[in-house]
Amino acid sequence: MPVTAASDTSPLLAVRQLSVFYGQFRAVDAVDLSVRAGEVVSIIGANGAGKSSLLKAIIGQADRIEGVISYCGEDLAGQGTAEIVAKGIALVPEGRRLFPSLSVEENLHIGWEVGRQGEIGIEDVFGFFPILKERCRQKARELSGGQQQMVALGRALLANPRLLLCDEISLGLAPVVIDSLYKLIPAIKARGIGILVVEQDITRSLAVADRFYCLLEGKVTLASRPSATSREVVMQHYFGL
Amino acid sequence: MAGAWANQIIQGILLGGLYAMFAIGLSLSVGIMRFVNIAHGDLIVLVSFLLLTLTTRLGVPLLVATAIVVPVAFVGGYLLQRLLLQRVLGQGVLSIVLVTFGLSVIIQNALQGIYGADTRLIQGGGIETETIQLAGGINIGMLPLAIFVFAVALVFALDLLLYRTRLGARIRAVSDDVASANLVGLRSAHIYAVAMGIVGVTVALSAGFMSVWTNFDPTSGPSRLLVAFEAVVLGGLGSLWGTLAGGIIVGIAQSLGAQVDAGWQLLAGHLVFLAVFLIRPQGLFPK
Ligand SMILES: Nc1ncnc2c1ncn2[C@@H]1O[C@H](COP(=O)(O)OP(=O)(O)OP(=O)(O)O)[C@@H](O)[C@H]1O
Ligand SMILES: [Mg+2]
Repeated sequence: MPVTAASDTSPLLAVRQLSVFYGQFRAVDAVDLSVRAGEVVSIIGANGAGKSSLLKAIIGQADRIEGVISYCGEDLAGQGTAEIVAKGIALVPEGRRLFPSLSVEENLHIGWEVGRQGEIGIEDVFGFFPILKERCRQKARELSGGQQQMVALGRALLANPRLLLCDEISLGLAPVVIDSLYKLIPAIKARGIGILVVEQDITRSLAVADRFYCLLEGKVTLASRPSATSREVVMQHYFGL
Repeated sequence: MAGAWANQIIQGILLGGLYAMFAIGLSLSVGIMRFVNIAHGDLIVLVSFLLLTLTTRLGVPLLVATAIVVPVAFVGGYLLQRLLLQRVLGQGVLSIVLVTFGLSVIIQNALQGIYGADTRLIQGGGIETETIQLAGGINIGMLPLAIFVFAVALVFALDLLLYRTRLGARIRAVSDDVASANLVGLRSAHIYAVAMGIVGVTVALSAGFMSVWTNFDPTSGPSRLLVAFEAVVLGGLGSLWGTLAGGIIVGIAQSLGAQVDAGWQLLAGHLVFLAVFLIRPQGLFPK
């Protein structure tokens, strides 16, 4: 059972008995999970555990799902990604997925257009990542990997999400760059945004998380708080020992 | 003698304007949606027949008729993409070729059935006979000049739309990577359909010009497609200015070929296309 935080507020996101299928293959298997406003929840798990599939299902990009994805009390199952994003869920996709021929500014602005158009504007993103302001006319493909990840995160933030989904934002980046990205998480959290972080890097992931779920072959094997769990227990559930 | 050749080159450039008009829509669909619409020429002919009905049956002046047809063509392009082409997009090149080929056959047969096989021309209200006299005995027709200027203006406008507007950025985003676009919440099917609506507008405009300048009948589509295709490939896929240049090159080649021998006109265009294609398969101004 997921550990419930202060139970006076209802969760922003409550996933119940969610399964995600590719054909006959069940990539996510009856997962229960919740995220509250202003809470950082991490999902850890090895390659192929089903982390990305879970996020894709939440954002409305899975072919076939079973179960309930309840967001602010409304079931998202069957809704299109455009509607879901407009309601306040944004994804920083695995592998960044920028539009390579568009400028930095154009990439960022797309996040604004598809989103809720709230208080976070492009100047805020330039405030988080000043380098992007200098590069704003350059094409996304001309940026370094770290700068591209900043654009991907900025694009998602510009959608003014209430729930931010981050899929392996540290992948392939130098530690200093990862630090600069993770430094932002407390600021995002302070705005009351719920954050669901997917990482393979357990240390990094648990350091920012209020709660975490460990996923193994599509199933939740452990749901706990970083402070309440020893490294050994985490590793056991991560590898399924 | 030199004057005659100079004249042919000028006429060729102007003819290239018409060819560019044919090709701009195809260039957009190749550049943005990355497919070749085999029915492109037939759609131009279809709109020409619509204009024919409006002008001859209902007595609407051609300019007004074109103004009526342009928004209709936008909606038509939107629905064509949304209801038909979108279903086969991403299922390999062959499906879309087969579907648009089928569309081409349907349009040709429907036009034959409704209008018969006669060759048609729409009266432009006098502009088609007006000319400007230049030094050296060169005459420039007002209509070809107007078409050429319009083609340049259209390329300019579409270039602005694609590269300087938010809508253009959304269209380029979907064209860059549909899956990513869907993942961040862009409505890619709608955006593609809007792009096809814009293609429809260019189809309507080129039909307006073509129907006054050249004869057409229900089977004229494929030859229009061929010229458009040559212009697009010559210019380089995805480049609108390249398409304009490609149209002009085909126009000049045809015009010079005709100067040698009337029978050489079309062949000269194809030969120049083949020659450039062999030397620069990526086209002159690839994106
Ligand atoms: N499009 C797809 N078609 C078929 N199977 C897929 C597809 N995408 C993922 N899978 C399978 O689903 C399972 C879960 O994949 P998923 O990408 O969700 O894992 P992940 O935890 O994100 O892994 P990673 O850490 O490598 O990103 C894997 O076994 C994978 O092979
Ligand atoms: Mg993944």
